[in-house]
Amino acid sequence: MNTDLSFIIIDDSELDSFLTRKFLKLTYKEVSISSFQNAQDALDIIGENAGSDNLTQTIILLDLQMPIMNGFQFVEEFEKFPPEVQKNYKIVVQTVLTAKNDPNDINSILKYGTVKSIIQKPLTTEKLLSLFEQ
Amino acid sequence: MAPEKIKILYVDDEPDNLVGFKASLRLHYKVFTAVNIPQALSCLDNHPEIRVVFCDQRMPEKTGVDFFEEIRVSHPLPVRILITAYTNVESIIDAINKGNIFRYVKKPWTETDLIAAIDEANKFYMANSMLTIKNDELQRAYNELNKFAHSVSHDIRGPLTGILGAINLAREMDDAEEMKEMMFLMEKSVKKLDAYVLSMHDYYSLQRGELKITEIDFHQIVDELKAIYDINAKINHVAFNIDVKQEEIFRSDQAPLRLIFNNLLSNAFKYQDKKSKTKSVELSIHVRKSVATIYVKDTGIGILGSHVGEIFNLFYRSNSVEVGSGLGLYNVKSALLKLNGQIEVNSVLHQGTTFKVTIPSI
Repeated sequence: MNTDLSFIIIDDSELDSFLTRKFLKLTYKEVSISSFQNAQDALDIIGENAGSDNLTQTIILLDLQMPIMNGFQFVEEFEKFPPEVQKNYKIVVQTVLTAKNDPNDINSILKYGTVKSIIQKPLTTEKLLSLFEQ
Repeated sequence: MAPEKIKILYVDDEPDNLVGFKASLRLHYKVFTAVNIPQALSCLDNHPEIRVVFCDQRMPEKTGVDFFEEIRVSHPLPVRILITAYTNVESIIDAINKGNIFRYVKKPWTETDLIAAIDEANKFYMANSMLTIKNDELQRAYNELNKFAHSVSHDIRGPLTGILGAINLAREMDDAEEMKEMMFLMEKSVKKLDAYVLSMHDYYSLQRGELKITEIDFHQIVDELKAIYDINAKINHVAFNIDVKQEEIFRSDQAPLRLIFNNLLSNAFKYQDKKSKTKSVELSIHVRKSVATIYVKDTGIGILGSHVGEIFNLFYRSNSVEVGSGLGLYNVKSALLKLNGQIEVNSVLHQGTTFKVTIPSI
């Protein structure tokens, strides 16, 4: 599989973040993964790396419901980065909510250009694979 | 003391009628009169507690029916009764059908007619006000239910899907060490779920429960708290200092009082700065002049200034490091509301937080 790929996990739940990391390792043996419990920290790092000539495609696995800064707020802030920074990233949203039981319709996050898809938790190898066939 | 008289307003352009009306009814009711529409409107504005409005149908500026149609919108609460001779039945029937008037009294009226009408109107008024109060309560309950439905999907399904995901992953795992690490994280999720259910229970008993007042011995409560938190203090190397001064009788409800202590103390221990060398939690309780002043002071991570205003809100969480349900401090606030108490917060980021609680003896 494509090894020029790295991942950023943003999830306030330690267990979920652990699981995502393990599933990624099962699917891609050699891959760089960093994880954050607080979306703001992830933004800071992305901002710091913006200057460097790092062309690796990075997939951000983003939880929606988090304290301090939730997924929606993260995407909002992320899209303030210049296009040349944004193009190195793709956002995949992970959530326990379904479109049916969420009053703020989670699908509305797809209107952001950088958000590629939504997957329902719990994560499985199948869900991860189906993501990258697209 | 006799119950306060019901307030009624009578509008008629003939001063003699007003005098007669007031004379026959003033013993039973507090009667306001108005000789024209502007006077009537200003009377309604100045006395919003007027329950019944009588108006004569034949007025120079406007008919009684038109006046009622107008105040039905501007002053919807008072019950409207028309006084009229049998002249224009059509317009009266029309007004009743449109809901603009409650009933009518025919001219010339007798005192018995009026009293019966006021009696009926008052019952209608009371039923309506009760309905409004109940409606508000229901609306509030509905709003909370909505918040709950939303939080249930996240705070209960969240840990559950995590555990389910872990079970899925376990099928593909061989390393025992990794497995142990995962079990530890699973345990945390289960504990979080359990804490959520417990605080949910607190929430309901606070909302629905009656007060049970007993004499409170703070020394005894503190002994019990010490037994619970000493273990935590030892394991995490947190100094736990307690200072109690109570030399007078203090009456309150045990259950909400314990809830307040438990939430504030468990937060004080939970939000310690893991890296700090000198960690401490201080609890002080002073009872003086029938007021208990309680301080819970920690050397923890503190609360961001911009978050302090929101920490007592339902489902608010200002921190992602530790598991929290967003119910704890909301429950503390509800408990204090029940006990007529007050709470203040003082927090410095990375240095610690102090909660000051004052509760009057009941």
